[in-house]
Amino acid sequence: MKISVITFFALFFPLIIFAQNTIAGIVTDNKGTPIIGANVYIEGSYEGASSDDNGKFSFETSETGTQTLTISFVSFEAFKLTDDVSKMKNLKIVLRDDVNSLETVTISAGSFSAGDNSKISVLKPLDIVTTASALGDFVGALQTLPGTTTVAEDGRLFVRGGDAGETQIFIDGIRVFTPYSPTTDNIPTRGRYSPFLFDGITFSTGGYSAEYGQALSSVLLLNTIDEPTQEKTDIAIMSVGGGLGHTEKWEKSSLSLNASYINLAPYIAILPDRNDWQKPFETASGEAVFRQKIGDGLLKVYGAFDTSNFALTQEDVNQPDGVRFKLNNQNFYTNASFSEMLKNDWTIFAGGSYTYGNTKVGIDESDIKDVENSAHFKLKLKKRFSNRFKLNFGAEQFVTDFNENYDEPNFAAKLGFNNNISAAFMEADIIFSRKLALKLGVRGEYSKMFKEFTVSPRASFAYKTGKNSQLSLAYGDFFQQPENEVLKFTNNLEAQHTQHYIMNYQYSANNRIFRAEVYRKQYSNLVTYNEAMPDVNSIFDNSGDGYAQGLDIFWRDNETLKNIDYWVSYSYLDTERKYKNFPIEATPSFANTHNLSVVAKYWINDWKSQIGFSYQYGSGRTYTDLNEPGFLQKKTKGYNSVSLNWAYLLSQQKILYFSINNAFAFKNVNGYQYANTPDSNGNFARRELRPAADQFFFVGFFWTISDDKKDNQLDNL
Amino acid sequence: MQNVITYLTLFFTALVMQAQTETTGTANATPTKYQQGMNKAFQLWQEDKSWDAANVFERIATAEPDNWLPPYYVAQINVINSFTEKDPAKLKAQLDKAQNFINDATAISKDNPDLLVLQAQLYTAWIVFDGQQYGMTYSAKASELYNKALALAPDNPRIILAKAEWDMGGAKYFGQSIEPYCKDIQRAIDLFATFKPVGEFYPTYGEERAKQIQAESCK
Repeated sequence: MKISVITFFALFFPLIIFAQNTIAGIVTDNKGTPIIGANVYIEGSYEGASSDDNGKFSFETSETGTQTLTISFVSFEAFKLTDDVSKMKNLKIVLRDDVNSLETVTISAGSFSAGDNSKISVLKPLDIVTTASALGDFVGALQTLPGTTTVAEDGRLFVRGGDAGETQIFIDGIRVFTPYSPTTDNIPTRGRYSPFLFDGITFSTGGYSAEYGQALSSVLLLNTIDEPTQEKTDIAIMSVGGGLGHTEKWEKSSLSLNASYINLAPYIAILPDRNDWQKPFETASGEAVFRQKIGDGLLKVYGAFDTSNFALTQEDVNQPDGVRFKLNNQNFYTNASFSEMLKNDWTIFAGGSYTYGNTKVGIDESDIKDVENSAHFKLKLKKRFSNRFKLNFGAEQFVTDFNENYDEPNFAAKLGFNNNISAAFMEADIIFSRKLALKLGVRGEYSKMFKEFTVSPRASFAYKTGKNSQLSLAYGDFFQQPENEVLKFTNNLEAQHTQHYIMNYQYSANNRIFRAEVYRKQYSNLVTYNEAMPDVNSIFDNSGDGYAQGLDIFWRDNETLKNIDYWVSYSYLDTERKYKNFPIEATPSFANTHNLSVVAKYWINDWKSQIGFSYQYGSGRTYTDLNEPGFLQKKTKGYNSVSLNWAYLLSQQKILYFSINNAFAFKNVNGYQYANTPDSNGNFARRELRPAADQFFFVGFFWTISDDKKDNQLDNL
Repeated sequence: MQNVITYLTLFFTALVMQAQTETTGTANATPTKYQQGMNKAFQLWQEDKSWDAANVFERIATAEPDNWLPPYYVAQINVINSFTEKDPAKLKAQLDKAQNFINDATAISKDNPDLLVLQAQLYTAWIVFDGQQYGMTYSAKASELYNKALALAPDNPRIILAKAEWDMGGAKYFGQSIEPYCKDIQRAIDLFATFKPVGEFYPTYGEERAKQIQAESCK
């Protein structure tokens, strides 16, 4: 009966029935849970509806024929259905999770990043510069992360049983050949570059991407700011010097300049240290970043120049008058890169860098003059096939030309080498779901000097174990050429090699992050030689090897204690290697078993002040006691240091800053120097290697001048 | 620093007060589909169904690819609702969505002071959510956007109000005089009296808020 009635109407009033189509159905996620409030509509029309509390929707449309129905909801991929409107009934729409979301798993094995919006950030941009022990050096802030070793007298990054040369630094993806100011024994160096030009820092302690090579242990990636926020002038007046910065913006371009001058003479006059300075440390540096938008692309040019010099006499157990040392260094680094989004989700990146380093060192009667010219060129393409599949590939070339002139009253030598390395890499990012992601890469390198081709596969994998936790695994092969100190004597070698195996667990929720990482690093092909100090007559080969394994723990909490933000890092390291002139496998003196860092920041609102605290502990480091049999068989006492700082906001744009390193004046011994020959009792005399000064004090005044009268340099401290 | 920024920016939640007037083209005979749609959206919004309103604006946005107002309102609803969102994943999804719609609207209407202010409010939502992480960079960006918006529309009371309110927060915190900003607020109130939106459905909010601030801070 019913059917015939409808048929009746259909026959007589066909227009009424067919002019208004009802579109109806249900929207769910992939687990079948209804999605409430999804937007369902016919594209280009005004017709649509929101899904109700049961995920159901229904609306009438006057549209006919083939149309596209769009179903969208926040944090899901939009779904489009193109069909005849009359067939859009009883629809069962399943929306896929948008993998471009905070909830998606990220590959976190091995890397720490600092910056905005990064899902694996453990440090915030401010931390780089407000960490008490760091004294404004970004390397100092990274030394509070697990995986690093406390080598206080050096100042560089020592990662997971690797020496400082095993970490490479890149600015905007382009290598920095001479990242640290040269210095001498027992005077810690600092990173050359001012943190205020960078807005993103990724520090990888292993298992990093195939895009990066020539680093056995670690890479540090620094990105310069794409677009400065405003025009401003920064003035810094410090107890050790001064600085001036200025940023100027135009319609499509901007320029930031930064100059600083440091002279330790007044400080050392007031607080003399253990060295006898003829010419206390003095450095002048300038940096500039220019950015220009070209169409959809961005061109960035970065340049930095610095010159530093000092002269001193250092105690020496073999020379009663001490060793005279003087150093004069000029360093120029420039880096240009261009990136642009092309059609069809292609991105192109091209960049290059040039480094000029000129170092003159005088040790007693001998003069050494080094000149390094290095360049790096890179071309990279990226294709985003979808949110779930991305491909990244490119090629690069490293060129180094190194020359050394060695002069003594009765001896002179010229040394040098040319090193060309060509490399290509390819890497795919595959996101299977919000829970599972995979990164697969391979890198090939050809060294012209060694006539050697190496292939390094890399893989990492991440799986989300819970709402706030994930597990990552990483594997990789890494090759690096021996350092300049070896290459200047021989080219009859091969690249040194490591393999990394990493497992990482990360939990993060409510401003708390917990990370634990276990790793094993296998060294092979390490360079060995037969003398304490290599020279032209030394015999070199690649017969060294070793391992490093351990556990890194990181905990950060910004929630539990009001106005207090703190983090704790602990590293356990077990490592031995045979390299250089080691007679046996041993733990090198730059590696220690336990490292602990505690960093805290307390904001006192009534005082408009931030108080910073940091504690560093490193267990004893190995040394060879010549009075007993064995090699690197003894350990020093542990290292302890507490640093404090206080930043006081005088007004919105004026900051007064105080800091003190090793506030409690712990007596730290970094190692021992033994006499070359025993005394009449057959005993080798020794001397403690103490820091030049136990404590360091710093006072600074920082003033920012900008139109909005709000910006300040708290992020530069 | 977190607290400074949080303080600086909390007042933005007050922008939730949308005094959107229903300026329908009643003089015209039949409202167009566009007018019907926009009216329906504003009605839903006033009934506290802001997400349904956002859905309607989103639909209109696809049908009116040359009109910046529908994407502007989609973005505005997402931004306003973010101020009270505590779940970081949801917050990010909403603000990403808002950013996409601001980008769409900006592509249609360049150098639009209302869009610049909305972009500044989006940054503010990030700052309110996590001042320590986003405060430094985003507060400078927001300041710059307010300056730019005011330069483009020096006599628009809503822009004067937004910038004055932003600056006032900082001045109060450091115990500086808020007198100059009170003058700006007064100027905004004067200008609101004669303010005529450029066209139908253009943003008109702000007068109530200006009076409220004056009553609370400038007496």
